[in-house]
Amino acid sequence: MERRRAIDEFEPGPVPSPKALDRFGFVKQECGNSTDGLNLCRSSSEHEREERRVRKWRKMIGVGGSDWKHYVRRKPHVVKRRIRKGIPDCLRGLVWQLISGSRDLLLMNPGVYEQLVIYETSSSELDIIRDISRTFPTHVFFQQRHGPGQRSLYNVLKAYSVYDRDVGYVQGMGFLAGLLLLYMSEEDAFWLMVALLKGAIHEPMEGLYQVGLPLVQQYLSMFEQLVKEYLPKLGEHFTQEMVNPSMYASQWFITVFSYSFPFPLALRIWDVFLYEGVQIVFQVGLALLRYCHDDLVKLPFEKLIHALRNFPEDAMNPDTLLPMAFSIKVTRRLEELKQEYDNRIGSGRGQAATNNNHKLITTKISRLPVVNPLKLL
Amino acid sequence: MARRPDEEYDYLFKVVLIGDSGVGKSNLLSRFTRNEFCLESKSTIGVEFATRTVQVEGKIIKAQIWDTAGQERYRAITSAYYRGALGALLVYDVTKPTTFENVSRWLKELRDHADSNIVIMLIGNKTDLKHLRAVATEDAQGYAEKEGLSFIETSALEAINVEKAFQTILGEIYRIISKKSLSSEDPAPAGIKEGKTIAIAAADTNVKKPCCSSS
Repeated sequence: MERRRAIDEFEPGPVPSPKALDRFGFVKQECGNSTDGLNLCRSSSEHEREERRVRKWRKMIGVGGSDWKHYVRRKPHVVKRRIRKGIPDCLRGLVWQLISGSRDLLLMNPGVYEQLVIYETSSSELDIIRDISRTFPTHVFFQQRHGPGQRSLYNVLKAYSVYDRDVGYVQGMGFLAGLLLLYMSEEDAFWLMVALLKGAIHEPMEGLYQVGLPLVQQYLSMFEQLVKEYLPKLGEHFTQEMVNPSMYASQWFITVFSYSFPFPLALRIWDVFLYEGVQIVFQVGLALLRYCHDDLVKLPFEKLIHALRNFPEDAMNPDTLLPMAFSIKVTRRLEELKQEYDNRIGSGRGQAATNNNHKLITTKISRLPVVNPLKLL
Repeated sequence: MARRPDEEYDYLFKVVLIGDSGVGKSNLLSRFTRNEFCLESKSTIGVEFATRTVQVEGKIIKAQIWDTAGQERYRAITSAYYRGALGALLVYDVTKPTTFENVSRWLKELRDHADSNIVIMLIGNKTDLKHLRAVATEDAQGYAEKEGLSFIETSALEAINVEKAFQTILGEIYRIISKKSLSSEDPAPAGIKEGKTIAIAAADTNVKKPCCSSS
């Protein structure tokens, strides 16, 4: 009995029957005329514009990314502007690796990923397996039991849990890995996770997943304060109704909007997130609240929570939401709030963790593998 | 705050759903509040929330249920939700012995963070997977009696005993609350009818631990 089950566990399940998919590979929800229909009737001029855009991008990054660094140094503002308009989908995987610094990590550590996947064991393996079929369950790539999608998702998460045994595996990381795997190979996705969590370019994300979830607590506290300052009427309403950001925004930070937001929006947020950092998560969060402000301030507790977890479709259109997000200036205030938070948490573990973060921020990518030495090297 | 008729209720009870990851907490909640079961459900990140209004002994009771992420690391966030909860549904998976073995850790978690007189119900979920059962009903029943918890087995998939589980815990909470309001000479404390969180459990911390279920 046991044995039969064990064998079953490793045999791929049936290939899911072909269903209607959207252009990103998600099974379509039963709601007739969505935006996809519109895409089909795109005018030819729009099509041409898209092609021009791709050509511009190709020129900017060069063959396999060879001109990228040069271009970014010369014209950082152009790069930023173009990324904010959205990276062309056909180049997204490559560009994400370039802007996150993961490409450099990959090149500096040949063979490491394979080593982690094949020869190491992780105490998180069962936890990872349990969640595999619960990660993007409506995406065709991840639907087949033990199919290629689920296998690569498992490999990336297991490799990371070995690479950083302090973090191991935490629910939510699967959505990061899953999103990346739709645009790049396992090994590329792994190094992009490393770049993000260890902070190759921006503030390290690992605090979102470490014991005590210290960075989640910090971001939620900062977000609560921002709401009070930028949307005072709503902030007051939240206080009165005793609604706090842990009731609706944890997953915004833990999965960078990849858990439950429409995929086209999540992708556009990720474009900016990888280039500009976590600030965009705060900005998008504030923009969502601002967009729905007049409705939200009228709602009592339960309806309020419901609304904060189910934003209307028009609020989640990237072409209106993102410009609104960019217009909300938060950089300086975020730095101050971070400082205040660190001071308030004061001595003890919180402080130690923060100091550690600072060290990692100033650590350039070339030294990253040294920061987290791999015994097996 | 004026409430529309469909939102009228006599009592508002806050209940938390806890237990190891993957035991079916979210589907128990969706079965009870929306009569839905999702085979393709995602793992819960942080907390989820839903409500349903039911009748208990002629009173209209609104259950405000917080569903929590099961992974241990998430307790940093989820344990804040135990505060003010009048009931806890502690769920394990009848096909996974470790999820039952961990029940004692969850009880400790409740003792550390929840109000001392919180009503706890042990739930063995996934009884539809008959051929995979690995935790005997008698074992769980015995454990529940020893710990003074009420106990039931459910299948969220087949909608078996889900209604009964929630009705039972809400009934138990109601009996404790109504007993209390009788003995304290106050009519039903005002906080219960209007407030968002129920303060009654916290207000009576010096009352000895009631043994509501073992009798």
